[in-house]
Amino acid sequence: MNAVRIVWRITRLNFRAQLEYRSEFLLMIAIGAIWQVSVIVFATVLLSRFTGMGGWDSSEVLLIPATRMLAHGLFVLFLGRLHGAGRQIQEGMIDTYLVRPMPVHRQLQLRVFPTNAIGDLTVAAGLMAGALSRSDLDWTAGRIAYLIAALLGGLLLEAALFTAVACASLRYPAADYWGSWLEELLGTFGSYPLNVLPKAVGGFLTYGLPLAFVAYFPAAVLTGHGHDTGVPYWLAAASPLLGVLAYLGSRLLWRWSLRHYTGVNG
Amino acid sequence: MSGSIEVRGLSRVFHTTVRRPGFVGAVRSLVNPERVTKHAVRDITFDVSPGELLALLGPNGAGKSTIIKMLTGILTPTSGEARVAGVVPYRERERNARNIGAVFGQRTQLWWDLPVRESFAILRDIYEVPKAEHAARLEEFDDLLDLSSFWDTRVRHLSLGQRVRSDLAAALLHDPPVVFLDEPTIGMDVVVKEQVREFLRYQVEQRGRTVLLTTHDMTEVERLAERVVLINHGRLVLDGSLDEIRRKFGSTWQVRATLADPHTQVVPLPGIALLRHDGPRVVFGPEESAGPDAPTVHQALKAVIEHYEVTDIALDEADLEDVMRAAYVQAGDL
Repeated sequence: MNAVRIVWRITRLNFRAQLEYRSEFLLMIAIGAIWQVSVIVFATVLLSRFTGMGGWDSSEVLLIPATRMLAHGLFVLFLGRLHGAGRQIQEGMIDTYLVRPMPVHRQLQLRVFPTNAIGDLTVAAGLMAGALSRSDLDWTAGRIAYLIAALLGGLLLEAALFTAVACASLRYPAADYWGSWLEELLGTFGSYPLNVLPKAVGGFLTYGLPLAFVAYFPAAVLTGHGHDTGVPYWLAAASPLLGVLAYLGSRLLWRWSLRHYTGVNG
Repeated sequence: MSGSIEVRGLSRVFHTTVRRPGFVGAVRSLVNPERVTKHAVRDITFDVSPGELLALLGPNGAGKSTIIKMLTGILTPTSGEARVAGVVPYRERERNARNIGAVFGQRTQLWWDLPVRESFAILRDIYEVPKAEHAARLEEFDDLLDLSSFWDTRVRHLSLGQRVRSDLAAALLHDPPVVFLDEPTIGMDVVVKEQVREFLRYQVEQRGRTVLLTTHDMTEVERLAERVVLINHGRLVLDGSLDEIRRKFGSTWQVRATLADPHTQVVPLPGIALLRHDGPRVVFGPEESAGPDAPTVHQALKAVIEHYEVTDIALDEADLEDVMRAAYVQAGDL
């Protein structure tokens, strides 16, 4: 309970600190929103020029970027400081985190309040509202619960990928660039039904970099395309669970990496 | 809780790759990297008793920071063992963190965007310090470090001296029995340095904390350290008092006396050599063969006054900086 109280207190103080730099605060929110402009353009073009994509109609396709963006916005809010952890590692902040009786992973998150998440989440919530209002699906309690599970699974899967990059950053400073590449990849391919891409690319984004599990597979399951994804239905349906497992695995990797941390600056 | 530090055969090895010189060398290193093993710390053994201040000295790259990192739980040793207040730091990192305070002079442990006092309040919650105890300790630290003049300022706006004073207070707010200070006064002005030294002296003498300090500031060592451990190339070169260091690495003191009777028969005293004799003026120095048993400058002074009638007497003693320079050079050859 004390841990929750501390996290809440630090987050509140960090948020208040960000508020005091008004221009910077508003700029960060704007950056968070502008960063998603490619997704907004994609959604606009999709709805105005095409009737569908890869056998999905436009309203179904829209559920993919909406799910991905909302999961991403939640990731930025709760665990987003993993992206760019390499900088904190290079500045030696990990050393100071290691001498406090608190998990290092949590301290990384509590360094600053992620103001840009407000912009991310605003755009993502708008997109999700648009996707749901255009959807012809019957939004039963089961479907809503699955969508929520998918969002959390997507959040955790993205966190798992960035935790893996942060683990590499503990040893190799250049690994931080892989984080930028990863973010670029998630933003670029995360909005499409992957069956429109060449098989090799789709396979890589499923088994290599498991981007398909963030939004494509959950959206496929929700819209009735779950049997046409190229993977067994149960695997596509288990996307939220895979997110949880990937995150737990990444935290074990993080613990192992911290034990083998060799420090910076001598 | 006992604040002792026990270090037994501690070693830390790093494996790195060496880049060959030039463009072709760089490409060759990419294809066929040359791996080297660097022994940052080799088989170090020492103890620090509760309530003792030990200075860990050595030139840059000697291995001091690596030792501190192992004792604070940041790094895991390759071999050997260490206990800090009874806890093995790299096995029980969080438990060890509750027993220690640490200040790394070049980086802060405070929240960059928050006022200092808010950081203190967060640390109070993290370490679960009762509110009344926290308030009392803050008041005590304010008296010693004059914190209240800037503790409502954000850390990012503090001067270096204010920041390090805040970091010192932050490191001790949970009342740890053991404190690690890695070059705490680096870059500070003399006034703040002295304030920090006073604070540390108070923590050791009045509060009984065990302090392990690394510094390149020899004035700091002279004013604070009872004992020093000298490290070079990762090895322990000397563990003893400042006097022992002076004796071992060129204790270049001289006692210059003017004799009342210029015809006095002057003879060497035990451990003290007669360096010059010119009329009434005589100069004594440590006898080379005496080695570590050579008398200190104060013992020599006493002996000279007891044996001869003098009208004037003066002391020359190499300052610690010179001694340490000699120690680093000689230790490098060991």
